[in-house]
This record gives sequence, C-alpha cells and structure tokens, in this order.
Amino acid sequence: MMLQPDVVRFIAMGESQTHNGDEEEGFRGAAEQQVEGNPFTFSPQLLRLHRDHELFEDGDVFRHMYLQDLFISEAEEQPAPSVSEFGCHISGCRAVFSTLHEYEHHYNSLHRHVCCSCHRSLPSARLLDIHIQEWHDSLFTILAQKQDMYLCLVEGCGQKFRTSQQRKDHLIRLHKYPPDFRFDKSRKEKGTREASREQRTDTAVEAADDVCRSEGVCEVMCGVESNQLEQEESMETHASSEEAAQSEDFSASAQTPETNTERLKPRYSYRVPKTVCFGHGSVRGFRGQRGRRK
Amino acid sequence: MWRLNKVRHKAGGHANSLEELRTKRREKERALRQARRDRQLVSKRLLLNEDEEQDTMEVAPGEQDVVTLFQILHHGGTEKEAFLRPLSKALRDPSAQLTFIKLENSMHLLVGLLTGSDARCRLQAVRCLHELSHSPHTSVASACLPATPYLLTYLSGQSTKFTELCLYTLGNICPDSERVKERLLAQGIIPALAGCIQNHRHNLAVVEAAGFALFQLLQSKDAAQKVIPTVLASSLPSQLLSVLTPDPDFGLAPAIECAWCLHSLTSSSENHRELLAQGALRQCCSLLVSLGGAVADGNTDQGLELLVCPLLRCVGNLLSSCPAEALHSQLGGVDLVAPLCELVVALLHTLPALAKETAWVLNNLTAHSTESCSALLTLNLVPRLLELLPFSQGINTMVLRVLANVAHKKKEFCVRLAELGLLSALTATLKMADQNVVTLSLEVLFMIIVSCPQMAEQFVSQGGLSVLEAIQYNSDGEVRRRATYLLEQHILTEK
Repeated sequence: MMLQPDVVRFIAMGESQTHNGDEEEGFRGAAEQQVEGNPFTFSPQLLRLHRDHELFEDGDVFRHMYLQDLFISEAEEQPAPSVSEFGCHISGCRAVFSTLHEYEHHYNSLHRHVCCSCHRSLPSARLLDIHIQEWHDSLFTILAQKQDMYLCLVEGCGQKFRTSQQRKDHLIRLHKYPPDFRFDKSRKEKGTREASREQRTDTAVEAADDVCRSEGVCEVMCGVESNQLEQEESMETHASSEEAAQSEDFSASAQTPETNTERLKPRYSYRVPKTVCFGHGSVRGFRGQRGRRK
Repeated sequence: MWRLNKVRHKAGGHANSLEELRTKRREKERALRQARRDRQLVSKRLLLNEDEEQDTMEVAPGEQDVVTLFQILHHGGTEKEAFLRPLSKALRDPSAQLTFIKLENSMHLLVGLLTGSDARCRLQAVRCLHELSHSPHTSVASACLPATPYLLTYLSGQSTKFTELCLYTLGNICPDSERVKERLLAQGIIPALAGCIQNHRHNLAVVEAAGFALFQLLQSKDAAQKVIPTVLASSLPSQLLSVLTPDPDFGLAPAIECAWCLHSLTSSSENHRELLAQGALRQCCSLLVSLGGAVADGNTDQGLELLVCPLLRCVGNLLSSCPAEALHSQLGGVDLVAPLCELVVALLHTLPALAKETAWVLNNLTAHSTESCSALLTLNLVPRLLELLPFSQGINTMVLRVLANVAHKKKEFCVRLAELGLLSALTATLKMADQNVVTLSLEVLFMIIVSCPQMAEQFVSQGGLSVLEAIQYNSDGEVRRRATYLLEQHILTEK
C-alpha cells in the first residue's frame, strides 16, 4: 500500500528526538548505512493519516451506513480478508499464483537452470551443463573435431559420440528416446533460430525472448538493462570466443545489414553478470573466475 | 436516539424483505464509497417520532396537501397545531419539501411558529424544520437560514426533546452549503454546542445529537482553518473526552459520535497539543484496550467496531505527534502492544479493514519506541504477527513495517526475530506479487543479515538464494538493486 504524498505526511523523527542509548546497536548509526551504494533505506516512520486517506475508506463507509441506519453488526456480509498472490519476479513474466507451491513449480520449471548465454531454460543442472558445453564453449568445438565429445544425455550411460547426430541415434536406438526430444536440439538449428530471432528483434531487447522457450509456454524477458552491466575482465577471452562462436552461426544463414552491425557490437548475452545467473547450476556455465561487480 | 436493535427488527422480517434489504444495502454501500472518493461523503439523520417505526412507508400526503396546509396555516386561526402535524408528515416527501420552500412566506410562517408563545406549536414547527433539513436537495438548507439563530438560541434551553430536534436539524443543514456553514459559525454554533453539552450532560440523547451536529460541522473541507481552531479553544475537547466511555444502560451511541468528532479533529489538523494536554491519548488507549478485549472475546453484536474504529484512528494520529520521550507518560502506563496484536488477529476475519487500521497503529507505536518493540518480543506476539503475513490489501505491508521497526532497533532483536521464524516467513513474502511487500521484505532481510551474518547461511539453507536471484530480474529497479546488493555484499561473500 503506497501512501500518496498529497494526503499523507510522513514524519520521520529526527535522530535528536530519539532517546535510547543503544543507538550503536541499532541501524541508526550503523556503519552499514553509510556505505556508498547501499540501496537500503528503511527507517521507522510515524505515519500520520489525513482523514481523506484511502486507508480510512472502509471505516468511513461503515460509519455512514450506521448514520443512515443501514448498518448491520452481524458478520454475515463482511468480506473475507484477501490473501496475497505470489508473482513471478522475472520481468515480463506476468504469471501470478495463489499458492506458494504453484509459484515454486512455475519458477523451478521455467526459470531455473537457465543458460546465461542464450537464456534457454533446461530442465536440470546436468542438461544445462551439457548445453553450455556444447553450445557455448569454443574449446569443446575444437576438441570435438578430433574426439568423441557428445555425451549421452542419459545419466549413468557415459557414452560419448563424435557428432550430435550420432548421439541422437544412440538415444533413439538404445534408450528409446523420441526423435524429437526437446532437449536435444543441435547447434545448427540454434544458429538458424538465433539468426531469425535477431532479424525479428531489436538490439535494445536485452534478453532472449524465450527464457523458457524449451517449454514453448511463455515468453519471458529479462529486464536487466545494458547500462547496469559491466565488462568483466575475466570474461574477455570468453567474450571474444563467444563472439567468434556466434559469428560462425551467422555464416550459415542469410544476413541482414542489421545482423552485420550487431556482430560488431558487443553481444548482450555475455554482459549478464555471472552473479545474476539463475540457480546454482548456471554458475558452472562460466569457466572463468567469479568476478565481483563494482 | 439510535438503537441498532431497530435494524435487527427489519432483518427479522421474511425472506423477501431480507434479500431486498441486502441489495439495498449493497447499493448504498457502493454509492457511499463513490461519494467518499469524490470527497462528497455526507449523511443526514432523521429523528422519528416515538410512535413511528423506521421505514414506515406511509402514504405521503402529497404536494397538494402541503400547499393546502400552508394556506390554512397562513390564514390565521387558533387550531394551528392540528395542521402542523400533518404538515410535518407531508414534508417528509422530497418534492413536497421543494414545493414548500418555494411558497412565499412559508419559512416566515414556520419561524413565527417556532418562536411563538405556543410551546406545542414550537415543537411541531421544529419538527417541520427537521423534516426539511433532511432533504436531499441542498437548496432547502439555504431556505432554512432564517431559522438558524433561533435554533442556536434554543440549544441553551431546557427542553430535551426540542433541543434534540434542533441539534439534528442544525447537523443536517450545515454540510449542505458553504453559506449555511459560515452563517452558523458566525452565529456562534461552536460555543452554543459547548454550552449545550454542558447543560445536558446527563441526557445522553441530547449529547449524542450534539456530537452528531459537531461531527457534521467538522466535515467541511476547510474545517482545519475555519472550524477546528475554535473548537480546540473551547471546552468541547474535554467534553468529548468525558463522554467517551459508553454508558452501560444507554449504549454506545453518544460515545460513537464523540469519538468520530475526535477523529475528525485529529485527522484534519496537525495541531494535537491541546488534545494531548487533555490526556486524549491515554483515555482513548484505555478505552480501546477494554473494547478491544470485548471484540477479541467475540462480542461483536453491539456494534462495538463503530466505536473502536474512530478510537484506533485517534490513537494512531495522536501517536504520530507524540515525541518518543513523552510516549510513556502520555500513555499513562497503558500497555497497548498486546491488546493491539490481539485486536488485529480478532478483526482479521470479521473486519479486515479495521485490522489494517490496527496494524497502522502498531506501526506508529513501535516506530520509535524500543520498549514497545521489546514487548512484542517478550510477550511472544511475533508469531501471531507472522501469521498475518499472507493477508493482502495493506495488512502484510503494515505488519512488515512493524517487524522492520523492531529489527531496526537492535541487532539482538534481529536475531530474536529470526529465531522466531521471520526468515522463513520472508522466503514466502519475497515471492509475493505486491512490490511493496517485496521491498519491505528485502529491507527486513537486510537488517537481519547485517546484524547476524550467520543468518545468511540459514536463509540460503531455506532456499532463499534462488528467490533473490529471481528478484534480480524484477521489473522494479529499486527491488533489483536491493537484491543484488544483498547477494553480492552479504550472502555470496560468506562462501
């Protein structure tokens, strides 16, 4: 309930008026508050409410029902208190839930195990790892030219294959997976999709338009703005390899002038700071050191 | 006098009328809500004769009768009273009211009868004026202006029924027009009301009527400048306070009116010095505590909440101007913390709007009082507050403020709060859709973690990390910044 300034006057009592001696113990003089960049601002406030304040609406209506002899004291008609809804935080995801359980399920299904690079959502940490390795790790690409690198997706199997197609065949033959298993898209497909996505969307759009695209259910935007993100030193090598990896994809598809210029611009994906990736799993998506945002 | 019993008679009727009643009530409620949003919320009261029941759908005599009756009365004769009675009945009809005031010399006639030597005619004349005052047409109020100096004069008289009618008449007309209100102020309505309550202090029906009239006067938009200073300077504040305690025989009605007057005084004006000096805070608090106990016990069939509501508001606003050092003496030893908590919980399912107001008072109580915060902890009230956190429409935000007030005082309090389950409650509130709830939850979480870094681990073990990470993608920048700062500076550094 935000209190409008025009009908409410906040009176934050000045420090001189507070009396107790244990100021050092509380937050008033705490060193923490003086740290620059600390966005926390709470301090106890006396709230004086003017008679026209909206908080008083129900009680006033009550009062006047009484004056007009329409008041009934029995609770039969009183409305039940309403319960807060839970809402998915991810900017752009407007999902709202009435129970915590639903919220958890939504979040865990659609927003965990998200790849920091391309923002795809994978159902488990393991699949995320595999995805990152196969799609975003240039070292993998190099090694895969010479050795069997494509790991079978079934946990415990451990077999590796030279190409993703071979792995797919293995999955279908041995493990009876369906040929269109959703979490085994190859990178070639990704390239096409990404290129077409770039043609559609604006560079101003910071995130992939499909954090949960793998489920095809909702479109979620990550609202992190570019000016909030910094270049990480430790990410530079990674960044350039990212760029290299992505420019490879574009060579496979038609390029519009926009995508050409995009290539020259820093890509958004690696600008997402490491520390803001989802879930513990995604930490493993970055081989570099954990940097600290300044 | 108003008795809630009357309403119950109606409710006891057969099913049809009960349903009609409900529908009518709901419509009325909607209309009142809209009127309040338009800042046009005004009500009038009609005092019925003892022999009448409310809502009797008497066949209205009709406009023609009004004209006829007036003409008879106008042409002299000694049987005036016999014609005044039907005239007052006729004047209950709104269109008859309009017709009457347009008749030449109609008001002059009434004023003459009002001030004449026949006491019974005076009574009937004032009854006519009372019916007129209840008109939904605001032009009627202005038409009654010639009568006002007399109505005011009669307030210092001794006839109780007559005085009651004068008071309700005045109360009805004063919100209708600026002109009427200014005239009444100039004619000394405030000292007249003060004197009236003084003289009739033992007649609670009159006191109730005077309270109503004062309340109406206080509703005007510029009350803070034009009305309240004079009221505060008069003896009215102390009189209002002395009527606050309900009489067990007479009922709540006079206390209700006086409490609403006090609320109007405290909420329209920032000048609370006079009221605080008179001990208003202490008195409202102790009354609130005893009424609150009754409400918590489930005793709600007497309309107690009609009195609890304005008392809560008075306490809330008076607390906001009471300096922290003076709080203890102003409260006079009344322990408010536990009764308020009980009251929030008791009201939550019956009257959630009042529960929210109670939580607001708790905020003002705990904002700068370490004692009150400490009491919340030692009296084991925190778990009850935590149970309120699922409830929306302002309840959980206000409860979070209270908890934040406690956390803000001492690091030790933060630890105690965490031990009582606040951390796990926060992992739920952080997921709520309401941004205010999320922001306040982050603030509280920050205070806890800064006070006791081990709490960061506990928070993480309860699954808090993922929700903070998710919050970093929230659409609100302030929320994002807080989550990120907390993660980077205090949670992830612990590893």
